[in-house]
Amino acid sequence: MPSQGSLPADRIRRLAEFLSTSDVFRVRIERPGEEIEVGRRPPLLYAPAGSADDVRTEPVALRVDAIKADLVGIFHLSRPAPLEGELLEEDRELAFIEALGIRTPVRSLGAGRIVAIASQDGAPVEYGQSLFLLDRG
Amino acid sequence: MIANRGEIALRINRACQELGVRTVAVFSEPDRESLHVRQADEAFCVGPGPVPRSYLNIPNIISTALITGCDAVHPGYGFLAENARFAEICADHGLVFIGPRPSVIAAMGDKATAKRVMHEAGVATIPGTDILATVAEAENAAEKLGYPVLLKATAGGGGKGMRVVERSEDVERAFASATAESEASFKDGRLYLERLISNPRHIEVQVLADEFGAVVHLGERDCSAQKPSHQKLVEESPAPNLSARARSALHDMAVRASERVGYTNAGTLEFLTTGDDAYFMEMNTRIQVEHPVTEMVYGIDLVKEQIRIAAGEALGYVQRDLVARGHAIECRINAEDPRNNFAPQAGTVTNVVFPGGPGIRVDTHLYPGASIPPYYDSLLAKAVAYGDTREAAIARMERALRETVIEGVQTTIGLCLEVLASREFRAGRYDIGFLPSMLGSAV
Repeated sequence: MPSQGSLPADRIRRLAEFLSTSDVFRVRIERPGEEIEVGRRPPLLYAPAGSADDVRTEPVALRVDAIKADLVGIFHLSRPAPLEGELLEEDRELAFIEALGIRTPVRSLGAGRIVAIASQDGAPVEYGQSLFLLDRG
Repeated sequence: MIANRGEIALRINRACQELGVRTVAVFSEPDRESLHVRQADEAFCVGPGPVPRSYLNIPNIISTALITGCDAVHPGYGFLAENARFAEICADHGLVFIGPRPSVIAAMGDKATAKRVMHEAGVATIPGTDILATVAEAENAAEKLGYPVLLKATAGGGGKGMRVVERSEDVERAFASATAESEASFKDGRLYLERLISNPRHIEVQVLADEFGAVVHLGERDCSAQKPSHQKLVEESPAPNLSARARSALHDMAVRASERVGYTNAGTLEFLTTGDDAYFMEMNTRIQVEHPVTEMVYGIDLVKEQIRIAAGEALGYVQRDLVARGHAIECRINAEDPRNNFAPQAGTVTNVVFPGGPGIRVDTHLYPGASIPPYYDSLLAKAVAYGDTREAAIARMERALRETVIEGVQTTIGLCLEVLASREFRAGRYDIGFLPSMLGSAV
């Protein structure tokens, strides 16, 4: 692991090297005044069911990211409401969480296809709850 | 809403269930499998493991209370229990904070203010100063009080920001380090001075006060068996070898002080005593870890009383209705290594057997396979023994601790047994120097 005094870029590089050689998907380090999180894409979670006459031998990889709630509140889909299967070509606000009268946007954090809307519109969500599953592949 | 974790969250949940009150638990990600999460009617994750992001995450805790339709918040002890701002925020959102008013929490949380208020109420306080502006002021005051003196942080707690100063040439260095430590720990570096009382006893008085001005005491607890860090290990009620005059004076001071500050709900006034003299140390505006010993001798459920009082009910009894019977002792079973400066132990508890039988109560959140995250207090269980006499309570406690099995982490069970077997504890003649001295001689 990096030494305490190394530069952030150096630490991130070394964490990335660590991730690429281990089974770990995400590392988060918190110290007073500093937070670093480095992740790699999770493994294949979903693959289309192959039919008997499917000539392909390799399944198409879906690289699925979960977008999770980082606060407690009521989950609302933004309008126009995103749809399962919809392709997002760029970063977009998908929903917001309303807590204590404040709306906190939930963004797609880049392009991808919405595999699933994991929480119900208008329902309470807890910290860490999956809101959307996005295929980044 | 139970805004806490561990054994006290379970304790509050039990009181609510017996009162027919539905509960909502909050938890951090590593506590997802905790008993308090399983036993509450609803549970919400409010953040990751580190305390500031979960159990001190006020927006997520308040939001949980509001979206689940809670009426009240019980803060337990630690975390947000003595946070006046949190109590205010609860009130702002229409939630009843189960504890005293925010202004009282704030006044008692500031040690220098609390001491001044108590002094005005006629309660004996340790001779000392108000807030010190400069080192020179501290040096002058120390000369007048006479060395040794104790430099204390007004926002302090748990021994942080506290320094014993033996000589005038040490004042400057102690002032600087205590200010820095207090600033870092409490974001408040203000200090004051007190005369050092050498090896006093720590005796505290439990009070209950309703919103109609009625205040009663529920006797005292002797908490002198403390670790070198001033954290309590073994507590008992009533305090042994305390004269009737001193006991009565303590109870009177506690009630008078609570009346004076307009106290409501459950609270504890901590005193340092030497001989028959007692000095107010601080008031804890919450339920205490060691409250079960009081419950055992008075037969009153303090947590239920807290909830009833917060709901606007009158106490319904007066002082003469309250009678202490028998003797109770509590031992704190912590995941700590007593031979290694009480280093906290994290890990998985592989096997657990708790004691039972007559007169034994165990408050714990432990179960076989439970994980002990590194983020939180090391308290695993509180073993409480009741007996008709102190000797009977000690014998029961020894028997109970010997029955107890906790595998996977080191605990303080062995140390508690050593305390119970010691000549000083058996005789009921021990002060706050007893346990550090016992540890010193044992290492």
